[in-house]
Amino acid sequence: MKFNFFHLMPYPTLPDDFDERFSSPSLTYPSGQFDPEVGMEAYDRYLGELEYADQLGYDGICVNEHHQSAYGMMPSPNIMAAALARRTSKAKVMVLGNAIGLRDHPLRVAEEIAMLDHVTKGRVVSGFVRGIGWEYFGHSINPVLSRERFNEAHDLIVKAWTSEDVFQWWGKHYEFRYVNIWPRPVQRPHPDIYIPGAGSTETMKYCAEKRYTFMSVYAPNSTVKRWFDGYRSACADLGYEPDPEKIGFAIPIYVAETHEQAHREARHHVEFLFHKMLKQGPEIVLPPGYMSESSLAGLLKGGAGAFSRLSYDDLVDRGMVLVGSPESVTEQLERMRDELGFGQIMALMCIGDTPHHRVVRTMELFANEVAPNFRSAEREPEAVPA
Amino acid sequence: MSTDAGVEVRTERLQVGAGEVRLLRAGSGPPLLFLHAAGGGGWTPFHDGVSASFDVLAPDHPGFDESEQTEEVEGVDDLVYHYLRLLDILGIEKATVVGASFGGWIAAELAVHSPHRVEKLVLMSPAGLRIPEAPPTDLFILPPDKLVRTLFHDEAIAASMLEVEPTVDDIVRIYHNNTAFARYAWKPFLNDPKLERRLYRIIAPTLVLWPEHDKVIPREHAERYAETIADARLQILEDCGHALYGERPEEVTRAVLAFLSADANGGSQ
Repeated sequence: MKFNFFHLMPYPTLPDDFDERFSSPSLTYPSGQFDPEVGMEAYDRYLGELEYADQLGYDGICVNEHHQSAYGMMPSPNIMAAALARRTSKAKVMVLGNAIGLRDHPLRVAEEIAMLDHVTKGRVVSGFVRGIGWEYFGHSINPVLSRERFNEAHDLIVKAWTSEDVFQWWGKHYEFRYVNIWPRPVQRPHPDIYIPGAGSTETMKYCAEKRYTFMSVYAPNSTVKRWFDGYRSACADLGYEPDPEKIGFAIPIYVAETHEQAHREARHHVEFLFHKMLKQGPEIVLPPGYMSESSLAGLLKGGAGAFSRLSYDDLVDRGMVLVGSPESVTEQLERMRDELGFGQIMALMCIGDTPHHRVVRTMELFANEVAPNFRSAEREPEAVPA
Repeated sequence: MSTDAGVEVRTERLQVGAGEVRLLRAGSGPPLLFLHAAGGGGWTPFHDGVSASFDVLAPDHPGFDESEQTEEVEGVDDLVYHYLRLLDILGIEKATVVGASFGGWIAAELAVHSPHRVEKLVLMSPAGLRIPEAPPTDLFILPPDKLVRTLFHDEAIAASMLEVEPTVDDIVRIYHNNTAFARYAWKPFLNDPKLERRLYRIIAPTLVLWPEHDKVIPREHAERYAETIADARLQILEDCGHALYGERPEEVTRAVLAFLSADANGGSQ
C-alpha cells in the first residue's frame, strides 16, 4: 500500500463566536478575519510538515486547491508544489488537484504541471478536480457548464502534454490557434492523473476508461465502498481489474500513544474540521447545474445531510476518521482496506486546528508503527526510514 | 384542464427547433405571449384574468418545467430567436408580450430585436439591465426560506408557503428550473450589458410595472427602462413584493388589462 500525506493548509483559528456570526468559513467569511502574521506562520509550518513527510518516507505529499475559504489556504496548489519541489527528494508531489473547471486558461495548468515535473525530476502527480460549488460563486463561472468545461480543459491539457507539434484547439469553451507548450512534461506520456469522485457514476466511468486513479472524498465507509465498487465495476465493464493503487482512500487520521489519549485529543480537532470548517449550506455546495438531477435525487433519497449533524462518535463509527493508538489504527485500517479495497491512502493528519506537535506525532507514529505493517504484508523490501 | 375560474386551458406540445415546448393556452382575442419568471411556467389566476380579453400563450422556457433544454438555446439571445421561431410556427405576426422578472428581460430583448412584432409590451419588474450601483439580489445563493421571504412582501403568504415540507421530487423540480435559470443568467448575472443602449429600438407602447417592496430588482431598473424606452410609463404597485402576480394576482391583472385596453394613443390610466 502507498501512504500519502495530504494537507489542506487550513487557516488555523476561528473566532470563539464563529458559530453565531458566520454561516460558513467559505465564500463569504470576510477576509478581514485573515491575519497575515498567522498566515505567514501557518504556511511556513505546513510546508515544513509536508517536507518532513518526505523525510519520513511517505510515498506522496499532497496539496490541493480551494478558494476564498479558511478551510484550505491553497488557491494555487501549484505554488505550494513548487515550494516543495526542491526541498523534497523522494515523495511524489501530488497536486490533488487543479480545479480545471474553474480556469479560463487551462493551458496555464498544462504549463505549470510540466514545469513542476522538471523541477521535481519527474515526481509530479496531476490531480484534476471540478472545484467545490461555492467556488463557482467566487469565480463567477457558470456551474451548469462545470462538467463540460472540466472535460474540455482535461482533453486540451492532455493533448498539449502529449502532442509533439503545434496544434489548434476549437472547442466549445476554449479556442487556441497555437498550442505548443514549452516545456512539455518529463514523464511520458504525461504525469499520472488522479480524479476524486463523490458518487457520480459518470466520474467512475471516466476514470475507468482513461485508467486514472480514482479517489474518494470524506464520506462514511459504507458510501465509499459503493463508490469504489462502482469504479471497479466500470473497469470490469471494460474488461479489466484495476490495480488497487488506482484507488485512493482519503481520510483524516489521528494517532497518539494510546487509544484513549488519541480520542481524548482528537475529538476537538475532528469537530473543528467537520462542524466548523465544513459548515456550509447546500445553496453554496450545490449551485444549480453543478450536479445532475439524478445524482441529486440519489443524494436526497440516501438521506445525505450536513456534516454538522454528525457527532464525533458518528464520524468515528462511520469510518470518516481514523483515530487511535498505532495498534488500533493498524487494525482499523486493515479492516477498511479489506472492506473497501484501496491501495493508496491520502491521510489528512493536520485535522482542523491540530497543533504542530500533535501533527508531527501522528506523522511519526503512523510512519514508524502503522505503515510498516502494511508494507511488510505486501513484502515490499524497503522499510520506512525513521 | 379547467381552472377554478372555469377557464379551459389547453396544453399544446410544439416542436421548436431541436426541442419540444409545452405551451399552455386559453382565451380568445389578440395573441398575448407571456414569458414567465425564473421560478417556472404554469397557469395562474393572473393568466385566467388576462385570458378574458386575449388568446394567452404561456410557454415554458427551454429547460424549465416541461420544455426540453436544447444545445441551441444557451443564452437570452438564443431565447429571443426561440420565441420568434415559436411565433412563426403559430403563424402570429404580432403579439402583445408580457414578461415577468427574468421573462421581462427576454421580452425587452425580443422587442429590441424585432420591434415590429410587438403590439404592446408589459415589463413586470424586469431584469436585464446592468446597473452596477443597484444590482439585483443574488437569488442563487439564498436558502429556500430566505428566497421565499425575498420574493414575497406579505409575510403570511411566505409563511404559509414554507409550512409545507418539500418532497424530494419538489426539490429536484426546483433544482431543474434553477439549472435552466443559471444557464441563462449566471454570468453576466441577470443582465445584458448591451441591452440599455439598444432600448431605443422599442416602438411598442410599454408599461413597466414595479412592486413597491421588490427585494430582488431595485427600483432603478424599472425607472431606467421607463426612461429609456420611447413610449413607456412606470406604474408602482403598492403593498406587493417581487412575486407580483403570485402575490397580488387581482391587482396585477387589473393594471395590465387597463394598460392593454387603452387606445394606442390614449392616455388611459
